[in-house]
Amino acid sequence: MLKHPMLEYIKEEGPSGMRFPHILCPGCGAGQVLNYTLHAVDDLIKEGGAKKENFVFISGVGCSSRLTSHYLKFDSGWTLHGRSLPFATGALLANPDLKIIIFTGDGDAAAIGGNHFIHAFRRNMDVTILCVNNGLYGMTGGQVAPTTLPFANTPTTPYGNIEDPFDLCKLAEAAGASYISRWITAQPMQIIKAVKKGIANKGASFIEVLSQCPVHEHETPVESMNALKEITVPVKKAEGSGKIPVGELHYRPRPSWTERYESVIEKANEALS
Amino acid sequence: MIDIVINPNYCKGCSICIEFCPKHVLQPSQDINAKGYFLPEPVDIEACTQCQLCVIVCPDLAIAVTPKEKQGSRNARK
Repeated sequence: MLKHPMLEYIKEEGPSGMRFPHILCPGCGAGQVLNYTLHAVDDLIKEGGAKKENFVFISGVGCSSRLTSHYLKFDSGWTLHGRSLPFATGALLANPDLKIIIFTGDGDAAAIGGNHFIHAFRRNMDVTILCVNNGLYGMTGGQVAPTTLPFANTPTTPYGNIEDPFDLCKLAEAAGASYISRWITAQPMQIIKAVKKGIANKGASFIEVLSQCPVHEHETPVESMNALKEITVPVKKAEGSGKIPVGELHYRPRPSWTERYESVIEKANEALS
Repeated sequence: MIDIVINPNYCKGCSICIEFCPKHVLQPSQDINAKGYFLPEPVDIEACTQCQLCVIVCPDLAIAVTPKEKQGSRNARK
């Protein structure tokens, strides 16, 4: 029978029965990001000559972080809340050839893992970070998060959120990431291209995907995706519009942490011999 | 012959594929799966251009469309 082409990379069955369908709610943006990423990785393996064993998927805790070790046939790690980047640092130290993809949510990256988040960009670790930003804490019941839009209603802010959100892309740029782009879930081809570029980029690549959370926004998935289209604008037309710019925001390659570390190893070997 | 298959065990009836299809091939149906979700159904298979957009946007990896032949299809994703 004809099957979805990406099920090739999915553990459909586990020791305790079927793992698929996954736990995510109907119409979840995290499932779409998984699909887009697998399409990008599939292209790299089948056409770009990348090796399947070199890909490593790492995640912390949250809805989007359920995507890695539970379902993928790749090497993967499911780590502590917000600590996916230290885990990735260790994996890169052991094998600098790895292509590391990190699935993280906004709560995982910006709230509890905020410190690791900025220091990974400062060091320019060779990782690709996919942040599925739905603007709330989905797994625990939709509470207000550091990325919730102002005056949005959530269970903990029933009369509107009074805080301004983090702009994760500007934060990453200030901290020193070399490739940054922001998309919404309704831009599949652009996200596939961005993931490929992020994996090819030697250095920290940050791809933020503004995602719908239909359950906590009390809308159908399609309404929720259309609402995202209304609050965003392509980066070229962004000036003065007051909307969130989407597109490729920043690309400035610089030596990655692993490259610099290798040069230090060479210097040390010369000094010793 | 184009084949559009929807896996009733994986589909959660989010209707994103119905919205994304540029040729309006898919429509909501009255079929209910074991979890009570309404599945989409292909109504106009002749109109399908095998662009694979529904396959790419599906959050549950539930839909499959016959891939395009290799020659002359640079954008076909297998």
